Amino acid sequence: MENRAKNIIGKVDIPLLGLFLVLVFAGLLTVYSASFSEEYPQIYSLDKAYGKQLAWIVISLIIGVLILTLEGSFIRNSAYIVYGVVTLMLLVVLFMPAIKGAHSWFKIGGFTIQPSEFAKFATSLAIAHYLSTSGIKIQEAKTKVIVFFLIAVPGFFILQQPDPGTLLVFFSFIFVMYREGLSGNILLGMFFAIIIGVMAIFFKASEANVSFFGWVFAANYLYLFVIVIATVLIHFGITYLVMPRYRAKKYIINMVSGAIAMLLVFSCNYAYDNVFKDRHRDRFEVMFGLKLDRKGVGYNSYQALSAIGSGGPAGKGYFKGTLSNDKYKHVPEQSTDFIFCSWAEEWGFLGSFLLIILYTAFLIRIIMIAERQKSKFTRIFGYCTASILFFHYMINIAMVIGLAPVIGIPLPFFSKGGSAILGFSIMIFILLRMDSERKDVLR
Amino acid sequence: MDSFQHRRWIIILTMLFVTVVFGVRLLYVQVLNNDWKNRAEQITHHKVTIHPARGLLYDRNGELLVAVNQVYDILVTPKDLKGIDTVEFCSLFKISKTEFLQKIEHASTGYNVSYKASTFIESMSKEEYSRVVPYLKSFNGFDSKRRTNRGYPNGVAAHVLGYVRKISAEQYSKDQKVGEKYYNQNDYVGVTGLEKVYEKELRGERGSAFFLRDYAGNDKTNLEENYAISGNNLYTSIDLKLQSYGERLMKNKLGSIVAIEPSTGEILSLISAPSFDPNKLSGREFSENYKELLNNDTLKPIINRPIYNANYRPGSIFKLVQALIAMQEGVITENTGFVCNKALINCHNHEPPSNVQIAIKHSCNPYFYHVYKRLIQRGEEKSIFKDSRIGIEKWNASVKSFGLGIKLNTDIPGVKPGRIPDANYYDNEFPSKTNPYGKHRWAFSTIYSNSIGEGEIGVSPLQMANLAAIIANRGYYYTPHLVKKIGKDGSKRPEYLKKNYTMAAAKYFEPVVSAMEMVVENGTAMGAQIDSIRVCGKTGTVQNKTFNDHSVFIAFAPRENPKIAIAVYVEYGTWGGIWAAKIASLMIEKYLVKELSEKGKKKEKEVLDAIILDKHSDFK
Repeated sequence: MENRAKNIIGKVDIPLLGLFLVLVFAGLLTVYSASFSEEYPQIYSLDKAYGKQLAWIVISLIIGVLILTLEGSFIRNSAYIVYGVVTLMLLVVLFMPAIKGAHSWFKIGGFTIQPSEFAKFATSLAIAHYLSTSGIKIQEAKTKVIVFFLIAVPGFFILQQPDPGTLLVFFSFIFVMYREGLSGNILLGMFFAIIIGVMAIFFKASEANVSFFGWVFAANYLYLFVIVIATVLIHFGITYLVMPRYRAKKYIINMVSGAIAMLLVFSCNYAYDNVFKDRHRDRFEVMFGLKLDRKGVGYNSYQALSAIGSGGPAGKGYFKGTLSNDKYKHVPEQSTDFIFCSWAEEWGFLGSFLLIILYTAFLIRIIMIAERQKSKFTRIFGYCTASILFFHYMINIAMVIGLAPVIGIPLPFFSKGGSAILGFSIMIFILLRMDSERKDVLR
Repeated sequence: MDSFQHRRWIIILTMLFVTVVFGVRLLYVQVLNNDWKNRAEQITHHKVTIHPARGLLYDRNGELLVAVNQVYDILVTPKDLKGIDTVEFCSLFKISKTEFLQKIEHASTGYNVSYKASTFIESMSKEEYSRVVPYLKSFNGFDSKRRTNRGYPNGVAAHVLGYVRKISAEQYSKDQKVGEKYYNQNDYVGVTGLEKVYEKELRGERGSAFFLRDYAGNDKTNLEENYAISGNNLYTSIDLKLQSYGERLMKNKLGSIVAIEPSTGEILSLISAPSFDPNKLSGREFSENYKELLNNDTLKPIINRPIYNANYRPGSIFKLVQALIAMQEGVITENTGFVCNKALINCHNHEPPSNVQIAIKHSCNPYFYHVYKRLIQRGEEKSIFKDSRIGIEKWNASVKSFGLGIKLNTDIPGVKPGRIPDANYYDNEFPSKTNPYGKHRWAFSTIYSNSIGEGEIGVSPLQMANLAAIIANRGYYYTPHLVKKIGKDGSKRPEYLKKNYTMAAAKYFEPVVSAMEMVVENGTAMGAQIDSIRVCGKTGTVQNKTFNDHSVFIAFAPRENPKIAIAVYVEYGTWGGIWAAKIASLMIEKYLVKELSEKGKKKEKEVLDAIILDKHSDFK
């Protein structure tokens, strides 16, 4: 038994484990500083956020070590069971009393558990299991539909809580699908759709007018006009640059995507006027910099950027922040979604740059690990892990530094929240476990 | 080996791209651009002004004249007004709706801006404030601030002390443009009286503190503190008891009392009648009270008569100056006599004025007609016109050495010089600037009224009292002043320690002093007698064409080592002996003996009962 444990430890990927521990430790210290209270100065004080966070980290590490003792095949075989249990939890949690307006938590004693955090690794396991089953080809429509449902079922329950931020993370599986062979055009199409949609909303929100030889257009109509022109130009481009035998198909693709783009712009405009509420509109206006609102919806963003900016190049020093901590509370949600502010204020640009480098290194290391697997299951699970963490990292930081509208989504390993740290740890330790036996498995 | 392996690079590149974007953005926000740092400072830094306590004012015996009261200002920030029940608010604060709207309007215009708090209701008393404070929280945008306000425990000496007001827009902009840039828009400054003259000493030095505040605006960490330095207390020369007594005596009369300690020039009391309670100009009702005092009272109590009314003609008391100058110039001696010729100028029946003393005792008009003639027409030029010009210039210089016709450098704001005419005055300004006499077109015969203190002479009651002090001192004076000490261990202003000598030598004063004693003993001012004290005085009666003559009296006592010099001017008080002399003697007796004699008490009753003018009087 002792020999076996030694074996596992020896085979665990030390860079990934190291990066994981560094991030978790830095996160704990930041939560400690951000929510420090003089009444309970000890970091292990369970009355405060940092004490609970420490407890959750300890629990996560214990569970992580337990995972390392499991057989890889056992993990793979339990995938659907785990998925089923967690999905059931997502259903049950909807009947729990609402906390802050959302039915997202089970309350047990002083601790709360958020099953949607577990849905991330559970869904990852299920997808990995399904796609690694022999004979499954991602190019087939049936596969796509089943994967869609594997994601959509927990996604639907999460939307009912409601927790749109977490739902957004489920879109990250598109990267996994892409890696496994989904047509790049779909990814590219989505990419363009996002660009076109965001620009449409920007023009709509800016209410800008463009003067053209004395005629005044609303910018969003001019934008539609530009799409039409682009479609026409591409049409001629096809005529002159593409060999005749390929032309017919390209014409159709061009026409269809032009039409979809126009439809998208129309629906964005429509949604902006009729579906969005004022608070959504305001969020977009603040994000686009059309409005420097420091009291209303822009408050969070304004305060967060002030805290980050005040850090300067080298920061104010640990525990020396003056905006983003429990004493001053200028930044809302400063120990959860906006935890990056505390870090950036205390450690400055050097610290915040180091942190994004650490995250990127961490993500790339996961992809490297995924790519060295012979087992398709492990590879897919690795990509799921990387994609989910990447989405969290990207959306959270972008929101905090004012590049995205405010979306409630935690920064992995940093934001206070037990279920999140446990969920992310389980993912990392499953990956570490599967990786450690990569040489023992054939496929 | 699967064929999509290369796709990892697309994914890794996407991640790197996101990180580069984040890096650039963070570089911009944290290093390159300072906007967010400044905004953070706006959020966290809170500068608090620490207002120093304004100095207090004491009388010469250490009695408190000006104290401080706790008052409360209600502040409004128009931008934060939300869902105010105007009706409820107005009834709570006892204001009308129009007033409410006006005040809100005022709070967001001019110097006031809608996102800053400005005063909505000023100086609420503790009682009023405790009534409204429980409800204040329910009105968004309203707040309160504790402040100290001036309080006057005795309610006297309004004109001496002056009052304190919020700085006016004009004074503020002047201070910002050409001044020392000390004041803030909501600061209080001394507007008149000692509060104005000693503003810099009284106000102290403002302090400030820098705090880091939390999201709710609570100051959490003190970064820096400069303590405020309290203003200096002023120890005035006023004798509170004498001042109050004088104000009591002057009830229902119009005029002034000025009492000076001759040996120092310190003003013991400065009374302007009618007076008012200085507390009226301290509280909430300032505006109403001020208007009332300024416009709606025909007697104009707001005027500080002892210094402002420099156009009072001195009447017969001026004969003292004429006698002194004439002896100094050698145009008469102590024993020069003239005939009381009523054809020259009217007089009353009295023994022949065979020397200066008798002339003063009986206030003989023809005698001083002769004296003045000798002073003006000295025979230095053949032409009486040219001769008079030379004479009047010499005379003018001598008279000015008595502190007359010049602005005394006292610490009372608004002091006027009065008028002692010179050649230029008759050449260019009299009878009117458009039609003056002209050069060499006037002589003694034109201006002889000056000889008996009528004519074109104007003297303020302060100057009259100073004249009494000069004679008491036998030839010099200290500029009259109100403050003995600035600060507990301080001193008075150095200019008040300097003796100003008149152009008349000390030896010429003795006969005048003797004459003044005779005036009180058995002359025109027997009403000023005090049994135990040798009082020296001189009456004056200033002719008044529209109503009763004005009654003037100057005096000092005791004759040797005088302790008090006094001038009393009772407008419309008929001749000098009646009211002015009685009031002066009561003041002297009160100051020197404290307890009034039986005779004094009788006199006091007469004076207190006398209603010469009250505020219902309507006259021009």
